[in-house]
Amino acid sequence: MTDKVTFWYGCNVVRHGDIIHSAIALLEAVGIEVTPAGGAGYCCGTAKDGNLRAAEGMGKRTVEKFNEHGTGQVVSWCPSCYRHMNAFMGEYTDTQFQLSHFTQLLHARRDVLAIKLTNRIERKVLLHKHFGFHEVDVNPLVEDLLRLIPGLELVETETTVPGHMCSALSRVPAALKDATRAVCDAANGAKADTVATVFHSCQRLLCALEGSEPFKVVNYVNLLTESMGMTTRDDYKEWKLAGSEEAVVAAVGNERIAAMGEKLFRDSILPELLKQPSK
Amino acid sequence: MPEKAATLHAHLDDFIKDTLSRCTRCGKCFEACPMTRYGDGLSKADPKTVVSGVLDWLQQTPGNEESVQWLKVCTQSSRCIEACPEGINAMKMVRVGQMSAMGSLGLQGAPALSGREAKDFFRVINAFSETQMTPDEMARWQR
Repeated sequence: MTDKVTFWYGCNVVRHGDIIHSAIALLEAVGIEVTPAGGAGYCCGTAKDGNLRAAEGMGKRTVEKFNEHGTGQVVSWCPSCYRHMNAFMGEYTDTQFQLSHFTQLLHARRDVLAIKLTNRIERKVLLHKHFGFHEVDVNPLVEDLLRLIPGLELVETETTVPGHMCSALSRVPAALKDATRAVCDAANGAKADTVATVFHSCQRLLCALEGSEPFKVVNYVNLLTESMGMTTRDDYKEWKLAGSEEAVVAAVGNERIAAMGEKLFRDSILPELLKQPSK
Repeated sequence: MPEKAATLHAHLDDFIKDTLSRCTRCGKCFEACPMTRYGDGLSKADPKTVVSGVLDWLQQTPGNEESVQWLKVCTQSSRCIEACPEGINAMKMVRVGQMSAMGSLGLQGAPALSGREAKDFFRVINAFSETQMTPDEMARWQR
């Protein structure tokens, strides 16, 4: 397997810079030279089903950029991006690279990773699982990785929920509510102190459960990097947990709000940060 | 190995033709779906009727109401793919049906489904990037 990869982290994960930075640190820890790529400029176009001309333009542009990277290996974080590349983008573009998923690459090098996981993490962890990402069976891969962490107890659970990640459920609110309730019941039934999410949208939509449930919600890559001795901070979760509008504004801070754009923050970002999980 | 399609539309045309030629309307994809309890009237719907409606959408003809409900509640759980005895990617079939119901494939009239993209999608992505990346990372990773 090549030592140079393009790490395609996607679009929506940019709410969690901690996840992106942890994922890159993990790839580097197992000896991989990483070219990160993501954000709007590398969109797969999966959100553009209502405008296929735009979707095609995005797909072609992103594939051309990956070809120019010349790594021959694109490692995807996001299951939607992975799926869209396989099912659509790769069908009408000249892809000069192999596509794999982040979990596969890290799992393949888990022996190297294990040596770096020196800090004990005394947590009882339940993995939040979806069953919709049929292309890559990520759940057992992530469970194997979590078992490498000294001190961590992984709770066995049969609870899995539909969709490939929580954002897929958000278009059917009753289903998202049921899935959220299911993970709360499973975690509390097992007396887990931590729910580990696999994907960014699950972290985004579940992290505010910390405000009402007795467990923490942490993405699994941050557990791995914590065991490596790296400190991460989930700003998005802090903002979601701030509570009132005034508290969210104070937590985000005037400088960041100015960087985002005051109007955009008020119109689109603040409502998102104030929305709490339904369960 | 067949040549790749030159455009997304050309690929979708190929996919639709292949799906229509192989689908037997057995309804097993619908029966396997974990989301049917969330759609109006889907619990009691006839699977063959629902799938026939989806195939209508693929042919640029408005499908029945049951098919619209199924298109609405699909969350890409993949169970339909495993269930298809003909090896059709039924999840992709439903997704292309959604595209048709949005009017993306050229069907005229009021769309039965709205597009999925959130308001300000890319502006929000760029705004969060500003708070989570350094200017150097933005320049090297996201341009």
